[in-house]
Amino acid sequence: MISRIKKQLVISGEITLLFQETVYCIFTRPFYWGRLLDQIVQLGIGSLSITIVIGFVTGLVMTLQFGYGLEKFGGTLYVPAIVAISLLRELAPIFTSLLIAGRVGSGISAEIGAMNVTQQIDAIRALGTSPTRVLVVPRVLACIISLPLLTTLSGFMGIMGGLIIAYTEFNMPLGFYINKVLTTITFADVLGSMVKCAFFGIVIALLACYRGFKTREGTRGVGNATTWVVVRTSIIILISDFFLSKLLILFLY
Amino acid sequence: MNTILEVKHLAKNFNEKKIHRDVSFSLKQGETLGLLGNSGTGKSVLLRSIIGLEDIDSGSIIYRNKRIDELSEVELYPIRTKISYSFQSGALFDSMTVYENIAYPLFEHTNLSESEVDQKVDEILSLINMKDAKDLMPSDLSGGMQKRVGLARSMALNPDILLYDEPTAGLDPVNVEMVIEVMKRFKARGFSGIFVTHDIPAARKICDRVLILNEGFIAFEGSISEFENSNDPFVQTFLAGQ
Repeated sequence: MISRIKKQLVISGEITLLFQETVYCIFTRPFYWGRLLDQIVQLGIGSLSITIVIGFVTGLVMTLQFGYGLEKFGGTLYVPAIVAISLLRELAPIFTSLLIAGRVGSGISAEIGAMNVTQQIDAIRALGTSPTRVLVVPRVLACIISLPLLTTLSGFMGIMGGLIIAYTEFNMPLGFYINKVLTTITFADVLGSMVKCAFFGIVIALLACYRGFKTREGTRGVGNATTWVVVRTSIIILISDFFLSKLLILFLY
Repeated sequence: MNTILEVKHLAKNFNEKKIHRDVSFSLKQGETLGLLGNSGTGKSVLLRSIIGLEDIDSGSIIYRNKRIDELSEVELYPIRTKISYSFQSGALFDSMTVYENIAYPLFEHTNLSESEVDQKVDEILSLINMKDAKDLMPSDLSGGMQKRVGLARSMALNPDILLYDEPTAGLDPVNVEMVIEVMKRFKARGFSGIFVTHDIPAARKICDRVLILNEGFIAFEGSISEFENSNDPFVQTFLAGQ
């Protein structure tokens, strides 16, 4: 038990050091703009379609459930506000982040893990360059930039999904739905959601890169690394979401 | 000839396993040193320790009168442009073409323009007879070609010392000759090298001196002729085993 705690503390320390080195590399030269753009395309734009689908379907289901649930109490009119707030503040950030943790986090750890077991990481070092600067910085920044934008898109698609269900299932006028949504949500809701996702983006990219660097035991190790990343990042996202929500309610909303 | 690199009383353990107990040797300017030994005696680990890819437990590594084993990772980056390491597997970046692999250190450490880098890469590719492979991916190359590109990449910055980790292992005789020819050309420019190998005929062609590692110590050190004519029972057994 003590050795397991010790091991976890060592991992936390190593991740903190990697974060520290990443921050240092972000603010010092050379900076690889080309690699950053590549990663934004690969991680961000590559996740567009699945984000749109998930956001849209979440909006459909949420509106359907809230609509019929609240209809019993004559509260259907509140559906647009409830759907918009819950999507923007919680569901879009969480679902998008979990999706990115699965799709992108596992991809990063597999890629870096495979580079590690084939000595490509050693080659980067042996050629006098920093693996953190070359590999981690572009991925962390790509996640910080892409994830908030994908989440905002996901929230928007959810609200559009809600609009369709509100109109077709509950005969709600389109103007009423849109007016309710626009008068309910504020800039703070969007900003809060983006702040959360930027934090989740750092968690996903950093843990995935860290585990990639620590990959041993060949292809089996690569498989283990991806599982480790998806499980750990999902848990951290879900737990930290509670504390971030509490902080945002206190200071922003 | 001036001494360019010195390894003094180096010791290295992996947990309980002692890889190097007390290894000392020096490398002179323009000299190629053969590092021989049975599998698992820590030849590659020694090369990795020299450029700081492995931490050592005790001893010192001195490059041009400067102790480098105590340097941090960041402080080692400029040293690694002077002491280059050619990986046994080639360790090519598999998402980059042959051109991009060789150009990588040039873009990172020089101020050459793109056309100058192109010219330099062409020159290096001619040296390894692979000018037509410029746009190929590493996955399109044979094992021998990957090793040659790895060797070319490690030479791109004209380092002082090149650490060759079994560059001829697993190659057919034609490719072995080609790799040795490349190493000879590099040596002719006055550069130094440490050549880890099991291939004694190859060592004979390129090395000025040989070291044999055994059980964590240097079991033999001498010129090629001293090595081949040695009466030392260990050296004779080693030669017979080869």
